[in-house]
Amino acid sequence: MFTRNRATLPAQAGIGLRHPHLPAFLATPQPVAWLEIHSENYLAPGGPRLAALEQLRGDYPLSCHGVGLSLGSAGGLDATHLARLRGLYDRLEPEAISEHLAWSTAPDGRFLADLLPLPYTDEALTLVAANIDQAQEALGRRLLVENPSTYLRFQHTDWDEAAFLSELVHRTGCGLLLDVNNLYVSAVNHGGDAWAMLDALPLEAIGEIHIAGHARVATSWGELLIDDHGSPVAEAVWALLAATLRRTGPCPVLMEWDTDIPELPILLAEAERAERYLQEVTDAAG
Amino acid sequence: MRLAELQTQMQRMLLSASGSDPALSGLLADPPEQRGRRLAVYRNNVRHALLSVLEAAFPVVRQLIGTECFTATTLTFIAERPPQQPILYAYGHDFTDFLANFRPLAELPWLADVARLEWARNEALFAAEGESLTPDRLAAIPADQLASLRISVHPATQWLESAWPIHAIWTAHQSEGDLLETIDLQQAERVMIWRRDGVVHQRELTIGELTLLKAFATQRPLAEAAEAALQRDPTFDLSRALACWLNERALGPPIMGAL
Repeated sequence: MFTRNRATLPAQAGIGLRHPHLPAFLATPQPVAWLEIHSENYLAPGGPRLAALEQLRGDYPLSCHGVGLSLGSAGGLDATHLARLRGLYDRLEPEAISEHLAWSTAPDGRFLADLLPLPYTDEALTLVAANIDQAQEALGRRLLVENPSTYLRFQHTDWDEAAFLSELVHRTGCGLLLDVNNLYVSAVNHGGDAWAMLDALPLEAIGEIHIAGHARVATSWGELLIDDHGSPVAEAVWALLAATLRRTGPCPVLMEWDTDIPELPILLAEAERAERYLQEVTDAAG
Repeated sequence: MRLAELQTQMQRMLLSASGSDPALSGLLADPPEQRGRRLAVYRNNVRHALLSVLEAAFPVVRQLIGTECFTATTLTFIAERPPQQPILYAYGHDFTDFLANFRPLAELPWLADVARLEWARNEALFAAEGESLTPDRLAAIPADQLASLRISVHPATQWLESAWPIHAIWTAHQSEGDLLETIDLQQAERVMIWRRDGVVHQRELTIGELTLLKAFATQRPLAEAAEAALQRDPTFDLSRALACWLNERALGPPIMGAL
């Protein structure tokens, strides 16, 4: 169906494809190495967005980022949704697929449209591992699982986040989607050290890296960072990306921008900056 | 606390009117004075995400009742009927039904039908692709087969009947429409919605045209469908209606093998 046979994402910078930029992509090839979509935005039976994506698919490597499977659901996964995703992935044959370490669907089936936090308990670990196993089986592909940005912590925990993710990788064979912005946001929100957490993560399992902007909100006790994907990447997050790439070597890096979406050139400029960091580690490796 | 119980409790807080939940706060490791603010981030995210979906699907309803009223109404809807599946293009199908029974807006009896129109546009946008019947293809069908021809309706094509002038009200909220004040609100209207080249269109239908379209959708032969339309509307013009719909690619191919 597609002219090129690709197994993995290129170790270059990509951007999240958003609806306002579809016309620009359809009009002319854009200088970006690969694209990522939110899978749930393309599950409708038809329409212009899906048609545009199928047209672009042949020209760019693609990562499909799920935002609705809810790997942390205590009620288990939605088999209907898994089948929908499988259908989309079989049509698009993406180079990578990913989901989040979070829950969005409550046990009664209500979908809450947000990536909600999990307590890192033994019970949650067993459950998420089983859900990842089921998802990888049903989708017929390896999942990359993304570290979340969080705003609260639960008293009852048996694991820290990095160890929890390492254990999931070990038990299920899933990969890691390291969101460097989330790592930073969570560290600041919980008074932690993002650099120490970076070293504790299973970096060898990374299949993709995300970067994005966050908002800073003043509270009575200090700043709370909100992962709103609505601004350029913060300098501290660029520094963390550079540190990550020095540890991992060249790796696919994705720029996400989801609220107050800017003109395409602004987004491409962020990807270009990521490309420069990638070039540095590529040169160093060479 | 078991994870299922925690998620059920958190879901209740996220959708509640107050957002306050001392029992849930008690499960957090953060300093007590910070817990409410931290939980509120998630509650805001949930409400904002679902509100944005409905704002995108019902822009004219929002203009009609104002942003503040729309937000308050929508938040009530979200709390009562949150999505039951993780595909948000389909969220809001029962907002029309909710509006029809929402007492604070009872003095705007046409509002729910305007919402039905906006939802039909949403369905037309995301409907499956399908083959269209072109003028050339119809012209190639031998004349002696036309009377018994069963023409299908394109999957994206929708129609609505309302006791209110919903097409005029909708159009009044686009840049090219008449002012709302000039519309006779007692006028019933029928509207057809279709998708051509990825763009959703709509126009008013006569009673004859609506009868024809419904007859096509129930697989009635062309001669019978046209006769039904003429009975409802003596001024009905078959060739004019067909030419318009064929040019707009609103009809599907003939149904083969149907008797």
